[in-house]
Amino acid sequence: MAASFRALSRKVVRQVRRNVTFGFRNRVRTAGFNPELSACRFCSGGAAGKSTHFGFETVSEGEKAERVYKVFESVAQKYDVMNDAMSLGIHRLWKDALLHVMNPQPGLRLLDVAGGTGDISFRFLEYSRSVRDRQLRHRARANQTPSWQQISSSYSSEEAEPVDSWAVVCDINKEMLKVGRERAEKAGITKGLSWVVGDAEELPFDDDTFDVYSIAFGIRNVTHIEQALQEALRVLKPGGRFLCLEFSKVSNPVLSRLYDAYSFQMIPVLGEVIAGDWKSYQYLVESIRKFPDQETFKDMIEDAGFFRVHYTNLTGGVVAIHSGFKL
Amino acid sequence: MFLISARRLAAHSASLLLNTQRRLSSGLKGDDRSVESVLQLLVCPLSKTPLRYNKETNELINEELGIAYPIIDGIPNMIPQDAKLIKKAEGIEEPTQS
Repeated sequence: MAASFRALSRKVVRQVRRNVTFGFRNRVRTAGFNPELSACRFCSGGAAGKSTHFGFETVSEGEKAERVYKVFESVAQKYDVMNDAMSLGIHRLWKDALLHVMNPQPGLRLLDVAGGTGDISFRFLEYSRSVRDRQLRHRARANQTPSWQQISSSYSSEEAEPVDSWAVVCDINKEMLKVGRERAEKAGITKGLSWVVGDAEELPFDDDTFDVYSIAFGIRNVTHIEQALQEALRVLKPGGRFLCLEFSKVSNPVLSRLYDAYSFQMIPVLGEVIAGDWKSYQYLVESIRKFPDQETFKDMIEDAGFFRVHYTNLTGGVVAIHSGFKL
Repeated sequence: MFLISARRLAAHSASLLLNTQRRLSSGLKGDDRSVESVLQLLVCPLSKTPLRYNKETNELINEELGIAYPIIDGIPNMIPQDAKLIKKAEGIEEPTQS
């Protein structure tokens, strides 16, 4: 009964908010039609005045979204190479760890927000597939006296499986998605993978649609983190899981100093040498410092309405995985 | 530690290669299906109401608000700022720049 009341109150809040968003027309940019109105969000002009941080700079909220877009547009082609260079390949282990925490069973629907080049989604599909293979093998082994016919039919079953895993990659940046799709085509992954250009603060999905919502190294680039968290809560099914992989605070002072030195001395230089873009990577390391620490972010997730919120530190706190459930 | 990560990287690429072979042999499923299937999931990001798919213009249309979201290169663009206003009465369609 408590659960249904919670769902009801959530629906009421959503209705109220939906009525307010009917001032949307301001936000649909039309060529030469009142550019000031279109520049700010639906709320009357207040947002144009509000400022936020872009790395260590202070910018208006509208400007931040645009500048973040430009950063990722310029780094898209070299994004994966740079990730390997900057983290010495360790970002792959972080993403593998996220998947292990997620532990997806076959047949789940994942929304990979800020999924960009698709790293998490590829791993999700691979993981689900290997779990399914293991289940099938176990089932075959469990048959007391399997005939050769039974064994061969279980290996060659290519007919439609009951429910397939489905990963939807959502990113605000078209260039990143294009690179991701090329990678998918090269790896031969086409089934169970979809690509959508969308805003994490305003997801184009219905309520209660996804089993898992993940956002890896993306939430610090979102202008209104609380709004992204609320959208995450909305699109998740009850029982669904929220997972966030993000850079966080290093608690150990010695490691922290080494990390700072590496971040501010090495990374922009690597950015210039490999991608020809110092500023974007300067923004990257600054945005990491501006992001709230593990406990603060955990509180933000709880405030959005998630339950059983926990975090795990990786590499001494350089990266943290936050997890919460919609109940 | 670097040996471990190197080994892990090698294993990762090896498994990816195996999977590639497996998927290629099972036959490449057309990605038109993945576009069509995701269209069923999509709603308007502003009003969260269902959209109508217009095959000719390759757009997702929200009748209520009179806006259309383009599908570029098989990827639906659901950013409100990139949507087109459809003024059916005057027969004018104002294209927008992103």
